[in-house]
Order: sequence, then C-alpha cells, then structure tokens
Amino acid sequence: MNVIIMGAGSLGSSLSRKLSDLGHRITVIEKNPKAVSLLPRGRVDSGAMTVIHRDGSTGPAMIEAGIADADVFIAATGKDSLNGLAAQRAKFTFRVETVMAVVSDEAARTLYDSLGVGTINKATLASSAIASMLSKDEV
Amino acid sequence: MYLVIVGGGKVGSPLASSLINEGHEVFVLDNNPDTVAKIQRELGMIATIGDATSLRALQDAGASRAGAIIAATDSDEDNLAACQLARTNFDVPRTIAVAHSPENAELFDFAGVDLVVSATDLVLANLATALPAHPLIRLMPIADRTQELVAIKLPAAGTAIGRTLSEITLPYGAKIVLMITSEGHQKSPDSDPVIEAEDEIIALSPANSTAELWELLTELR
Repeated sequence: MNVIIMGAGSLGSSLSRKLSDLGHRITVIEKNPKAVSLLPRGRVDSGAMTVIHRDGSTGPAMIEAGIADADVFIAATGKDSLNGLAAQRAKFTFRVETVMAVVSDEAARTLYDSLGVGTINKATLASSAIASMLSKDEV
Repeated sequence: MYLVIVGGGKVGSPLASSLINEGHEVFVLDNNPDTVAKIQRELGMIATIGDATSLRALQDAGASRAGAIIAATDSDEDNLAACQLARTNFDVPRTIAVAHSPENAELFDFAGVDLVVSATDLVLANLATALPAHPLIRLMPIADRTQELVAIKLPAAGTAIGRTLSEITLPYGAKIVLMITSEGHQKSPDSDPVIEAEDEIIALSPANSTAELWELLTELR
C-alpha cells in the first residue's frame, strides 16, 4: 500500500520503518530537515522511502507526497491539533481511504471518531502493552 | 450572550473589548501568561491561561454554557480543533474561526465551522478598494521608452464623462489614438466624440506624463 506519514519524530520514524519492513511504499513529510535523522538512512538513500521537507499539513505538500495515490495517511507530529487538521484535509479534500491521527489527549477521540479519522494514542498504547505483558507474566 | 474567545492576541483582545461594550459576557482563553495578564489589566478578570485545544481548558472556560466560541489564535490548526471540540464535547451552538491560510478557510467550511473568517480574503478585499479600480495598462514602450502606448479605462463617475475630447487639456505631448466604448465600438478622436462612462482610451504618452494623463482621465467627480 502507499502510505504517507506526516512527522518523522520518534513515533513517525519507527512507524515508517515498521511499515516499510512489511513492504509498504512509505513517503514521509517532515518540515524540519534535522528531524529526519531517525529515519532508516539506507532506505531513504536507495529511494525505497521518500522524504519530503515541507509542512505536511498543507495541500501542496500532500500533493507532492503523492496523496492522489495514497491508501493511508497518518498524521504523527507532536501536535494534536495539527494532526487533526492534516487528517481532515487528507480525508475531506483528498478522499484518502484510511486516515489516522496521533493524539495525546484521549478526550479528543470522540471528535475524530465522529469524523471518521482513526486515532492513535501513545499513552494508551504503551500502557495497554505493558499491562498485557504483566498479565502474561502472572499467568 | 456568553462567548468564549480562544486566543487573546492581536485579534482576540480588541474583539473581547468590543463584544463587552456591546453587552456580551466574554471569557478569553490563551496559553500565553503575558497575554492573559494584559487582558486582565485592561478588561478585568475575564481571561485565564489555558490550551484552547484541551477539553479541560474549554470546560474551565465554561464552554458548556457558551452561546458561541470564537477561535482567533495565530494557529489555524488550534482554531479548528477548538471549534470542533467545543461543538462535539460541549454542544456549543455556534462556532466561529479565523483561518489565516486560504486553503484552511475552505477546509474549515467543510469541517463544519459555522462562520469562517478568512484573513487573506479580508486583506484582499481591503486592497481591492485601496487600489485604483480603473487600471492603467501599459501596452508598449515606444521610441527607446521615452514614450509609451497605454490603455486607460474611464470610471463612470469621472469628471471627463459627458465632455467632448477637445474640451480636455491633455499633458504636453500626449495624444489620444483611439477610444473604445464599453460595447466594443470604436470612436475616432478626429471626430471629437463625447466621452462616455466606461470608455477605454488608447493613448500615446511621453513616459513621464503617463501618470498625469491617468489622473486627468480618471479623476472622480
């Protein structure tokens, strides 16, 4: 699948690596040229993964990232509201099938659920992963 | 009406002040302590520090009893999130947001914000009234740019309208070459025609007299 990931922070970078491992075509949009150091350099250099240095929440950046052919758009910057705006642009303007936004405020989920945008909450993911590890240990 | 304003900066602060003067009850939310302190000094204890995109802050600001939320921060994404959270979580009946970028203004409309104030459109509208509505078009430089062929559209309320061409004293060296009516008919300057509203005048003018010619022909009554 063609996947666009906005934001190359810790989550965006590890996500792009994992999805790339699974064979998906990844395009990362990251405004800050310094922030892309977390991306797998070999794959970027070989062209297996594309990086675009722009503000990924804007229409022109999404178009450059090939959003017309994208199956998935994931907004993974550190700012909830920016992820929300970008996700809505991807969903409403560019009609991307699957759109997800990283949000740290669990309460914002109601909003994005109602918009048809999936949410990823780092704290919830981490805590449920830890909880399931501990419960396995006990059993 | 109880109004929550998000962002107490260049837009939000004067807005709060004028809405209070109109008799509304206003509360301002801003994440900058200095901004909040300034509003508290000028308008009283009607502002608090908080992130407008957090439900907690909106709740503390009394969003659940607000008649409207006005999102006027410098950040388009925060304005959108504040309006949407206010709508979905607190049933605020009316959401108003400033969009600084034109493409965001479109998205806000689509995303259900009731009233979108497009900053770019406002600036453009102001510019349009400030710029000359009856343009001067430089068609071609002639004779080493010492002269030029220009087209000037005459305003309907201009002082030249209704006079014949010979009644107008043109700048020295300027010559009307052709006149074209708004219907597209040509009028020859040799026949000393009456100047009508929205006529387009093609003139040959010394380059340093063109501005004077334009002012003369487009001067309003």
